[in-house]
Amino acid sequence: MKLSYRLRLLIVLISLGVLTGGGLLLKHLLLPDSFGVYGPYRANAIAEAALVPIRHGTNASCFKCHAYEAGIHKTGRHQTISCEFCHGTYMDHVENGRKIGTLPVKREKQITTLCLRCHNTEIKARSELVIKTVAMPNHLADQNVKLTHNCNQCHHVHAPLKYIIRAKQMTRWTEAGR
Amino acid sequence: MDAVNGTATMLISNYVFPNDLHVHWSMMIVLYPYITGLVDGAFIIAALYYLFDIKSLKPLARFSLLFALAFLCCATLPLLLHLGRPERNLNMLLTPSPSSAMAGFGYIYAVSMGVLVFIVLFVYRPDLVVLRDTSKGLLKLLYRAITFDSRDLSTYSLALDRKIIRFLVGIGIPIAAVLHGYVGFIFGGVKAIPTWSTPLMPVIFLFSACLSGISAIILAYIVIRKITGRSIDSDCIKTCIKTLTLFFILAFAFEMLEVFSHSYLKSGYHHMVEGLLNGPLASSFWLWQVKICSVIPLVILGVMAFFRMGRAMYHFWAAVVSAILLLQVLIMRWNVVIGGQLMSKSARGYTEFHPQWFDKEGILAVIIVMAIPFMILFVLSRIFPFWTPDNETTVT
Ligand code: HEC
Ligand code: HEC
Ligand code: HEC
Ligand code: HEC
Repeated sequence: MKLSYRLRLLIVLISLGVLTGGGLLLKHLLLPDSFGVYGPYRANAIAEAALVPIRHGTNASCFKCHAYEAGIHKTGRHQTISCEFCHGTYMDHVENGRKIGTLPVKREKQITTLCLRCHNTEIKARSELVIKTVAMPNHLADQNVKLTHNCNQCHHVHAPLKYIIRAKQMTRWTEAGR
Repeated sequence: MDAVNGTATMLISNYVFPNDLHVHWSMMIVLYPYITGLVDGAFIIAALYYLFDIKSLKPLARFSLLFALAFLCCATLPLLLHLGRPERNLNMLLTPSPSSAMAGFGYIYAVSMGVLVFIVLFVYRPDLVVLRDTSKGLLKLLYRAITFDSRDLSTYSLALDRKIIRFLVGIGIPIAAVLHGYVGFIFGGVKAIPTWSTPLMPVIFLFSACLSGISAIILAYIVIRKITGRSIDSDCIKTCIKTLTLFFILAFAFEMLEVFSHSYLKSGYHHMVEGLLNGPLASSFWLWQVKICSVIPLVILGVMAFFRMGRAMYHFWAAVVSAILLLQVLIMRWNVVIGGQLMSKSARGYTEFHPQWFDKEGILAVIIVMAIPFMILFVLSRIFPFWTPDNETTVT
């Protein structure tokens, strides 16, 4: 082919233009349909997200069948804590008002690990105003017990100060400001 | 949870939010501004010759274009390595929006890549036309493609080429400046990290980019010429060192002014930043970045500027000072990127960063990522000869 240099450059320029146009077209084709209806995201994503089955109930959903635990939990210091944090989700346990699966129940050492996930002084960013923390093993040493004790040997898991308040009442041992 | 019970607790001081414990933007994100910076600085050298007619830079002009190209090819590599799902970066480019700073980078990157490639093609066209006739096979085909299959070297078309080069370099400068200024802007736009979120970020990044790029060019030129036994153009090195001195003074002044104005104003997070610079960063910022890698080069550059010295001596110190300044910029990127993340959003606690060897973003990965541009440069040198024949004299 005998083309002048200028013509060749023009062809290069035009192909660049075509390439850009093709890119824009491809971009248009690849975009999902509902993109940009409300903002820079797929509008259908909202409807899809709404269809995702709900895994968690609330504490109220547990109270219906677990009247005994409810009675303790509602009166204790842990009343604001979600049952499901410690036990697992409603969805794995109940379907259509009937029990369909067992939830894990922590025992012994596992209980200590569980409690320390929230109550460990090592987690610096926890304000004492919101949640009281303890340092281990000092906390056990302070109570003069073996360091192998688990938290639930003194604290009721569902109402952590239940026994302790009772013990204080029995011994008439009170502290100012408590 | 081993962060709570395990060894990690030993490294943190004061209140560190659990999600601040880990430095998420690690060494790959240090390399990202470093590599784009090298591109930028190398491009400045080429621009000084092609647009501003600084004739003494002629021996380096073509080389710095190729250098910029080799590094530009790898500019996004660290980012992609940092991502868990690198292929999804294309989604971001498909759906750009003003709230996505990174998508903007993708587009600016693509444009600068295109412009640079065409500058190289037009600058090299006369050589490529000659090489086309002396080469065989696939290489010949490649040469035909990148010369647009034209042998036309008439004065008219060469003049046209020169115009095109001037135009491309002309738009190339703002694009290069935006490319790297944008990297600074991306960091400056992170409100959550006090040491980043300053409008000065793009400026500081830009000057240190020019600094690192020019140093890299000087060092690479001297080393490659020495190894291949060719002569070194003294005028050229002198001009480079002068330009380097200018950019270094600007970069260093801004780096320090930022710290001083914050500490004078005692602005917002100052108590926290002060603790950072004097605590976890004490050695990497004050000792390495400021004292060793800035004050020492400042003295060396001063001596080089004010005292006469022999050619060999001058070249030696030029190489040394460039190497130190390359390190300075790397450390500066480190102190900004990793240092900035060492303070918790609690505005009280500091954490620590421990580089790993074999991590996806570890030290080995850093070495590999930094080696790739040099391999690309080597491949490019097989296609585009670095040096023009008129400075091909070998040292005897
Ligand atoms: C702080 C964590 C925590 C919370 C909150 C909590 N539990 Fe428990 N729960 C435990 C632990 C630990 C045990 C095991 C106690 C033991 O073995 O001494 C347990 C035991 C139980 C058991 C008896 C299981 C068995 O087989 O022994 C039931 C039922 C139960 N919880 C229901 C609830 C309900 C309902 C709620 C909410 C109202 C709740 N829990 C809230 C930690 C918790
Ligand atoms: C439809 C009634 C129902 C609801 C609602 C319900 N449970 Fe249960 N749950 C049961 C029954 C029945 C058992 C078995 C009791 C037994 O064996 O004594 C049980 C047992 C448990 C156990 C012991 C381990 C096991 O699975 O056998 C735990 C822990 C528990 N439930 C927690 C919860 C929590 C937390 C919720 C709320 C998210 C909840 N339950 C809601 C009916 C219910
Ligand atoms: C989900 C995090 C969480 C877990 C797990 C948890 N707690 Fe608590 N706990 C809290 C919070 C929050 C409070 C404070 C509630 C309030 O004041 O309303 C609290 C309160 C307490 C208190 C009362 C402190 C006081 O003097 O006010 C004790 C004791 C306690 N928890 C012990 C335990 C024990 C023992 C366990 C393990 C079975 C445990 N906690 C597991 C969150 C947790
Ligand atoms: C030997 C019994 C015993 C054991 C075991 C024990 N505690 Fe306690 N804990 C107490 C007593 C008693 C108090 C009340 C102390 C007080 O009022 O001065 C208390 C108080 C607390 C408090 C409130 C602290 C405060 O500042 O008011 C928390 C939180 C707590 N315990 C968590 C735990 C956790 C978590 C474990 C398991 C690792 C645990 N405890 C194990 C006896 C115990």
